[in-house]
Amino acid sequence: MRIENVVCPFCGCLCDDIAVEIENGKIKSVAKACGIGRSLFMKHDEDLSFPSIGGRRVSLEDAIEKAVDILGRSKHALIYGLSSTSIEAHRKALELAELIGASIDQTSSICHGPTALAVHQTGIPTCTLGEIKNRADVLVFWGSNPLESHQRHYERYSLFPKGMFTPEGRKGRKLVVVDVRQTPSAKMADMFIKVNPGEDYEVLNALRYMLKGGELAASEIGGVRVEDLRKLLDVMLSAKYGVVFIGMGLTMTRGKYHNVEAAISLVVELNAHTRWSVVAMRGHYNVKGAASSLLWQTGYPFGINFSLGYPRYSPGEYTAVDLLRRKEVDCVLVIASDPVANFPRDAVKVMLELPLIAIDPKLSLTAVSADVVIPTAQVGIYVEGTAYRMDGVPLRVKKLLDSSYPSDEEVLGEILKRIKGA
Amino acid sequence: MKEFCLITGRTARQGIALHAGKTTESYEKDVAVIFLNEEDMQELGIEDGMSVLLRTDFGKVVVRAAKGNLPKGMAFMPYGPWANLLTSSNTHGVGMPDLKGLKLYISPTEEEIWDWKRVLEEVKKGEN
Amino acid sequence: MSEALIIKNGLVYDPLNEVRGEKKEIYVRDGKIVEKVEEPGATVIDASGMIVAPANIEIHSHIAGPKLNAARLMRPEDHAKDPVRRKEKLRSGSGFSIPTTFTTAYRYLLLGYSTLMEPAVPPLKARHALDELEDMPVVDKGMYILMGNNNIIFHLIKRGDRKAAKYFAGWLLKASAGYAIKVVNPGGTDSWKWGKVFNSLSEETPWGIKPVEVVNLLNEVVEEFSLPHPVHLHTYNLGIPGSYKAALDTIEAFKDSKLHLTHLQYFCYGGDSWATFRSESLKVAEKLSNYGNITADMGQIIFEDTTTMTADTPWEYKLHKLSGNRWSSADVEMETGSGIVPYRYKMSNLVNAVQWAVGLELALLLGPWRMFMTTDNPNGGPFYFYPQVIRWLTSVDARNEIIKKLPSRARKRIHLHKMDREFSLEEMIIMLSAGPAKALGLKNKGHLGVGADADIVLYAKKDDVADTLSSVRYLLKEGKVVVRDGKIVEADSIGRIIRVDTGLDDSALSSEIMDLFDRFYSISFSNYKVENAYLKREEVISCGVSNR
Repeated sequence: MRIENVVCPFCGCLCDDIAVEIENGKIKSVAKACGIGRSLFMKHDEDLSFPSIGGRRVSLEDAIEKAVDILGRSKHALIYGLSSTSIEAHRKALELAELIGASIDQTSSICHGPTALAVHQTGIPTCTLGEIKNRADVLVFWGSNPLESHQRHYERYSLFPKGMFTPEGRKGRKLVVVDVRQTPSAKMADMFIKVNPGEDYEVLNALRYMLKGGELAASEIGGVRVEDLRKLLDVMLSAKYGVVFIGMGLTMTRGKYHNVEAAISLVVELNAHTRWSVVAMRGHYNVKGAASSLLWQTGYPFGINFSLGYPRYSPGEYTAVDLLRRKEVDCVLVIASDPVANFPRDAVKVMLELPLIAIDPKLSLTAVSADVVIPTAQVGIYVEGTAYRMDGVPLRVKKLLDSSYPSDEEVLGEILKRIKGA
Repeated sequence: MKEFCLITGRTARQGIALHAGKTTESYEKDVAVIFLNEEDMQELGIEDGMSVLLRTDFGKVVVRAAKGNLPKGMAFMPYGPWANLLTSSNTHGVGMPDLKGLKLYISPTEEEIWDWKRVLEEVKKGEN
Repeated sequence: MSEALIIKNGLVYDPLNEVRGEKKEIYVRDGKIVEKVEEPGATVIDASGMIVAPANIEIHSHIAGPKLNAARLMRPEDHAKDPVRRKEKLRSGSGFSIPTTFTTAYRYLLLGYSTLMEPAVPPLKARHALDELEDMPVVDKGMYILMGNNNIIFHLIKRGDRKAAKYFAGWLLKASAGYAIKVVNPGGTDSWKWGKVFNSLSEETPWGIKPVEVVNLLNEVVEEFSLPHPVHLHTYNLGIPGSYKAALDTIEAFKDSKLHLTHLQYFCYGGDSWATFRSESLKVAEKLSNYGNITADMGQIIFEDTTTMTADTPWEYKLHKLSGNRWSSADVEMETGSGIVPYRYKMSNLVNAVQWAVGLELALLLGPWRMFMTTDNPNGGPFYFYPQVIRWLTSVDARNEIIKKLPSRARKRIHLHKMDREFSLEEMIIMLSAGPAKALGLKNKGHLGVGADADIVLYAKKDDVADTLSSVRYLLKEGKVVVRDGKIVEADSIGRIIRVDTGLDDSALSSEIMDLFDRFYSISFSNYKVENAYLKREEVISCGVSNR
């Protein structure tokens, strides 16, 4: 059986034109997906997790009961992850966090958290991906390598598509890539600007200064010759509709949110001359959704604490890595994420010394190390639900196959029910 | 000892491999790796595919060296548990740890590439 | 399950059924108002000393959807001012100018509201609005779907195929689970995607259509499908000196159609610069009074630090430059855009002083059947400042208290200090419930006749009208007590999405439209329509002719 227009639950592109062939309860083939998406669909039934306590296989019921016990007795739990599960599951996670006075954080805190911090200061002019297809004639990828992180981005959304006012597609666009090294994405650029690591802030502010008519005294800023900065600015000013794409090259390096503030400010200032937008290259397929559900229920995008019965926001304080570093939580519930693989070692060390519950369809390193594992059915393969693309467009991911495992939403709902009833 | 600037980031191969499972050999092959500039490798006496010992202020790890398109003095590792043996939880009050732009020292080693079990053991032990 | 209830001893106001402060009993069964309840087990509410009225209806308030979240993200400091603690079954959240979802619902319930209309939803992101509305318990809600800058409609009009354009609009309203058609700065939001500020109904936009043609077409859609609410229009030139000319132009252009002009206050300014800014409410009210087919809402400003958010993207950029405040915006492919800028209205600011007066002038001039109370929340101010607005509408003294504090030059720019009308309790009840229900075409709301939804508010009767209306003692939603003694006692139930079914399914769309979709949208057509999963509880109003 062939299912068309399947939504891929991997990265922030949330491609929704995937075609999947199903035979005998398995995915037999995948069309249109990128290599990473294909891997996700084809290996949908590999490396699945199973219910366990202390590494020993137990019944699903026992695993849930143990999780209920740990969370119900906690004084300050950390609930973390969310970006690879549905909005429907997020609602339950939030209700649970509020009920037990936990801190709740999602993967943005080690990804585009600094972008959120910048937006608090500057706001952000942005657009949906279709505007890029239809209008954008200048693209600037800053600290972003889409050919490796968002493999169909160039092809389906930004560089190649022919749109309403961009009938020439690639030929009608100028691609600029700014990075510390020549990535595969940079190799395709019309202009590659190599910046010194940790000096994007200086370069961005130099551009802002030049945009306001300032003359730079130096001949080089951040490893970039001033003539090249001038060329870049001219290209940006020549755009009818330009877009700056922000990646981890800005959020993870020295300056962090200041880098993003500078980038957004440049784009805001360009709007006095011509139209420009900023798009944050969100990593996971529903990290935008995780920020969204947290925002509409609490007012804040990540790093939230409920110990006082109302949401308090404090990046650097209630963000997961910091809570672990300072050993301020007494247990950790990880949903749809793998912090054991992705957090710095000393945060992982603390996590491994605490009661750790993993709710995950697969044997992530977190699941492999957890005290309690509750296996769930992967959203987008076995469970339908809502996910928000990097530009905020919400799509309903499909259920392609049946699973004997419950969904994240059901498990969290069950945990909630039992803690409330206790 | 020569100081390198370490960048960690996403690679397509890492993205593909993680669906096979993070305890699999294919994941290790694509994630327990550091990409280096060819000249730097020559100067260090490292060949493509050899084990290298990596060290930052926060820890050390043994991974495979591979030729990459990097400027001199820069090294790139895919996100994952191997890279994170080299990073710190200090977020400078922002929530985001330093995952790019770290000071790194590289030397050849006879040791085998650490597998995921070894990585977790080292994490549990603490500072190394 | 038959939940029967009797409300006795209250003074009943039901303007749509000409009940004007009568002592009578109200009977409820199974969520509806019925002729009589005699069963012994029926709940009795003794409404002695209370006013009984239809629950209030919010005709225009930005409460759910992508721009709300964009605003929430931009302003953590706004939330930190007003944290809302969890209380037994009531969820926590944040308030102030962009409240979170649970807080929004609770605060509306405490003001006696049963039904909320979210007035500006981009169809591509309708699921987002529905997701947020799902987290607003108890209240019924509807969405107005943005169409005034829709490129597919533009394309079809330009090609001369008005029939296809109308079908598409009718299809779109159903596909996005909408209640009514919204138009914001038609042609203007689209033009600004080119950085061009376009200010006209009759001229051709850079895209190549005339906005008046778009609105005319949508007016015909309303007519031909018998939609319950007409085009809900935010016209061009919002907020600037001389905007009253746009209001007059707009009324003139569409005077033969049913229409709703929203937050009209912003379109009643005279003068030709900020320095000569003045109220032209008299001119606009006079023109509008000739056309009973056109209703409006105030868009009253409150002197607070609030957040502006509209689909009028060029206006928001302009406000960003004027105020120097942060600016967020989002261009939505093929459809619309949004802009967000924080803004503080100050008594000491002459322009703000005039704006404040204009909203009230319009209401006092046009009366409660034509002009409804809104603050265009949060653009003019947060909705839970409504009791303050009610006070101004019902008390000359309360207005004078403010006028005293305004710059003295303001008196030469406004008319309010010369107006002595004070709305009565009945008039306010019309303005809050009967009037909006009628304008919205909600047949089962805004009144207490047999067959109506048992959405009923009970106020403690005080000497002062404003005091009465801010003393909600009971709110019933579909016959269930949700507020008692001024406190929320039930907040688990799910309200309904009220939407319109125009009877058009995908087969009504030509292959040309499918082709446009495919070429210019960034998602697959088959993933565009809102699925039933987002409509857990709904009330569907069937519209349209079946044999088209």
